[in-house]
Amino acid sequence: MGVLAALLALTAAPGVTAQEQPAGKLTFTVGIVNDVDSLNPFIGILAETYEVWALMYDYLVGYSQKDFSPVPQLAESWEVSDDELTWTYKIRQGVKWSDGQPLTAKDAAYTFNRIMKGTFEQTNYGNYVGNIEKVTAPDDATLVMTTKEPSPTMLRLAVPILPEHIWKDIDEKEVSTFDNEKNAVGSGPFKLEERSTGQFVRLSANKSYWGGAPKIDEVVYRVFNNADAQLQALKKGEIDFADQLDPAPFNSIKDTPGIATVPGKYSGFNELAFNTGAALDTGEPIGDGHPALKDKRLRQAIAHAIDKQALVDKVLGGYGSAATGIIPALYANLTYQPADGEAFNFDLAEANRLLDEAGYKDSNGDKVREMPDGGRPLRFRLFARQESNTSQQSVQFMQGWLRDIGIATEVKVVEENRLTEIIGQGEFDMFEWGWVVEPDPDYQLSTFTCGSRSYKSGGDVLANLSDSFYCNPEYDKLYEQQKVTIDPAKRAEIVKQMQKMLYDDAPYVVTFYYDDPQAYRSDRFTGFQPQPDPDGVVLFQYGTYSYRNISTPQATAAADDGGGGVPIVPIAVGVAVVGAAGVLIALRRRATRDERE
Amino acid sequence: MAAISARTFRPSAGQRRVAAKLLGALLSLAFVLVFNFFLFRVLPGDPAKNLTRNRLVPAEQVQVLRESFGLGKPLHEQFATYVKDTLSGDLGISYKFRRPVSEVIGERIWPTVLLLGLSTLLSTAIGLWIGIRGAWKRNSVFDRVSLGASLTLYAMPEFWLGIILLIAFGVGVGSFPGLFPTGGLSSPNTQLASMGGIVDVARHLFLPCLTLTLAYIAEYALVMRSSLLDELGEDYLTTARAKGLRDALVLRRHAVPNALLPTTTLIFLNLGFVVSGAITIETVYSWPGLGLLSYEALRTPDYPLLQGVFLLFSAAVIIANLLADLLYAYLDPRVRTG
Repeated sequence: MGVLAALLALTAAPGVTAQEQPAGKLTFTVGIVNDVDSLNPFIGILAETYEVWALMYDYLVGYSQKDFSPVPQLAESWEVSDDELTWTYKIRQGVKWSDGQPLTAKDAAYTFNRIMKGTFEQTNYGNYVGNIEKVTAPDDATLVMTTKEPSPTMLRLAVPILPEHIWKDIDEKEVSTFDNEKNAVGSGPFKLEERSTGQFVRLSANKSYWGGAPKIDEVVYRVFNNADAQLQALKKGEIDFADQLDPAPFNSIKDTPGIATVPGKYSGFNELAFNTGAALDTGEPIGDGHPALKDKRLRQAIAHAIDKQALVDKVLGGYGSAATGIIPALYANLTYQPADGEAFNFDLAEANRLLDEAGYKDSNGDKVREMPDGGRPLRFRLFARQESNTSQQSVQFMQGWLRDIGIATEVKVVEENRLTEIIGQGEFDMFEWGWVVEPDPDYQLSTFTCGSRSYKSGGDVLANLSDSFYCNPEYDKLYEQQKVTIDPAKRAEIVKQMQKMLYDDAPYVVTFYYDDPQAYRSDRFTGFQPQPDPDGVVLFQYGTYSYRNISTPQATAAADDGGGGVPIVPIAVGVAVVGAAGVLIALRRRATRDERE
Repeated sequence: MAAISARTFRPSAGQRRVAAKLLGALLSLAFVLVFNFFLFRVLPGDPAKNLTRNRLVPAEQVQVLRESFGLGKPLHEQFATYVKDTLSGDLGISYKFRRPVSEVIGERIWPTVLLLGLSTLLSTAIGLWIGIRGAWKRNSVFDRVSLGASLTLYAMPEFWLGIILLIAFGVGVGSFPGLFPTGGLSSPNTQLASMGGIVDVARHLFLPCLTLTLAYIAEYALVMRSSLLDELGEDYLTTARAKGLRDALVLRRHAVPNALLPTTTLIFLNLGFVVSGAITIETVYSWPGLGLLSYEALRTPDYPLLQGVFLLFSAAVIIANLLADLLYAYLDPRVRTG
């Protein structure tokens, strides 16, 4: 009893109220369900980690809050030479590292040169510097980069600029295990203070940030090992922000006072992918894909049999939109919309008609069509991912629709790790998966080039980026063309043309663009800035807009003192008294009993 | 002198038994060492590919990464390096965290030992008390209530009990406030080595520890109760009573020590699992322990980390078993002579 009372008294310890922080400090706590993997910008890979780096470091060029267009960050302005090969960036002056040293163009040059000359350093950023020939800093305010080919990605270099005076002492070998946790030096709007593996990352505001001092004092990322506990913590007020909520919990907190919900538009899509004829980058066939899926007409018929809106409504709970191209709708300048009459609308009768026309008939009456030569039936392996309910639910619907057009599927649910291998070897017919697309379309477009197919190394077949094994010389030509087109409007035209090609050839049926349902404590913070404006996500963006702008809501600032108004201390004292009394009585009883014997 | 004593040295039966047990434990450990290597390489997934999935990493770079893991080499060479390094105490570098495995494990081991150690201790103490009292006053109200309650708790899935307690005491129900944090081990901005830090950890520890204690009590209570019931019919207790000893003394000095034997085995068996953590509870309460770490390592798969973690788990079980064997012989003379 006494022990229990003592433990209960713990609850009366200071800081029992929702927000545990020293008085006067305004801390914004974000729940995350994946721990930050490494704070070393050459090692970490998770989205949560990139978010922390964005707070710790600056980039040359940022992404606008409105529509992701390039905006000045460390580079105040930039220009490209007439031959489109030399880029000159004017570096902001007066910026200081968190240890007081000045940040100059030399730091930027150092960062890029280190990546270009390094090997391990290439893992995270090699793709950005592949086209860069030379980087120099003629003076503290000027950075000059020369490229081999004209490149539109020179304003999309997502490389955090690192302080030379710190990183020059961390050699090639050490950099691959350096944790960058103690006294990390950055120039961003927040500074890393404390990291506890598996628990939290704490950053404090850089009140002399060149873009303006953040109005909050601290940002804490708190790790939750399960989404349910994270949601409960948000309800209780232990955290101020949670994202990637499933539709049911998201709906359940919609009307909770003090919580605001944002079904933010997100840059991800899901697709039904086909094995369009697995082969190596050399053209040598691999795998055991069903030959019928090499036929574009069959894939188009399947595209007619997928009810994208139904998937959005039933699988995503309405938090998403039916998709068309591989560049999500929130990238308004680049996304592709088929013209009227060219779209593969959901129409099972049309799908059946197309299959009949192409010669896929059910000749033996088993309700499954066969190949035009009457041989192999249209019986496909359809893979879903074990980690994703969305994936498994989607294929259930797909299986039903395909049955209606005489196509049999055998659903296989496997782990993502395993599926990556299966795909790389070409040992599948169809699968359900998705991508998250960056503001620059190059990477996503590259996943459909002939050169992105699997490759051979030392006798083993290894997966590359392509997972449909699509290979179309016309497409590759356009890909190379967009890669060297600097004018955004011209490039967008090519990108749309490429998406149209993919839409018509249907290596993927892109099913939906999903939202990232986010929620935050509106009773504690206001001033979130969606990206893109107005429907986008308010955190986990390309930039730090919300972190720098949020503050305490005016109206409730005085009243909101935490605590919940429940008299915890009296309760605990009461319990302690009862407990102590219990112990006393027990002792007395024992004493009398001993005496009696 | 030395020569003479060596000649006359005859290992006693007891010493031979201890030596045999030690040898057995070492052999088990060696087997685990070898087995671990091959076990994890059967897992699907290419670590280099999984670590770079859905990112802007060129294929050549993935290859560089793969080679830096030593995965390009033939399996027997990888195995030789693994055995050599492990025996010299080097567990390697984690693929995922890019830090020495011993360091990664070192960070996670104490939260697990704290949680599991404390809850094992509490559940043992409470369980034994319930078992003893229940058996001594068999079919009393106490016996029936405590037996029913501990069986009910035993039958509940741990994670479910955890979530219920989390919602009741972490979040609060109705006007009843959430008294404890919903997860984690400590709050940011606290010095762990201060009074405030200790209170903070204790508050975080309370709910997960309560859940595990409640879940484990039944095991000890039941074993203790039934072994004490077995002893109660024995003649030596009648003798003890006939000598005029008080009931409490008969129980404490005669019945309980004998009835403790099976429970000792159980306690040591469970001690072996103290380091491997309780993955479900670590998940529910976001406890940064080893159970969860091993799960994360499986997803990559992070071979060096998996090997390190499983070596530790196995070593703990083997050592606990060894201790149980040796202690049992001490506690129960029948084992020594038999």
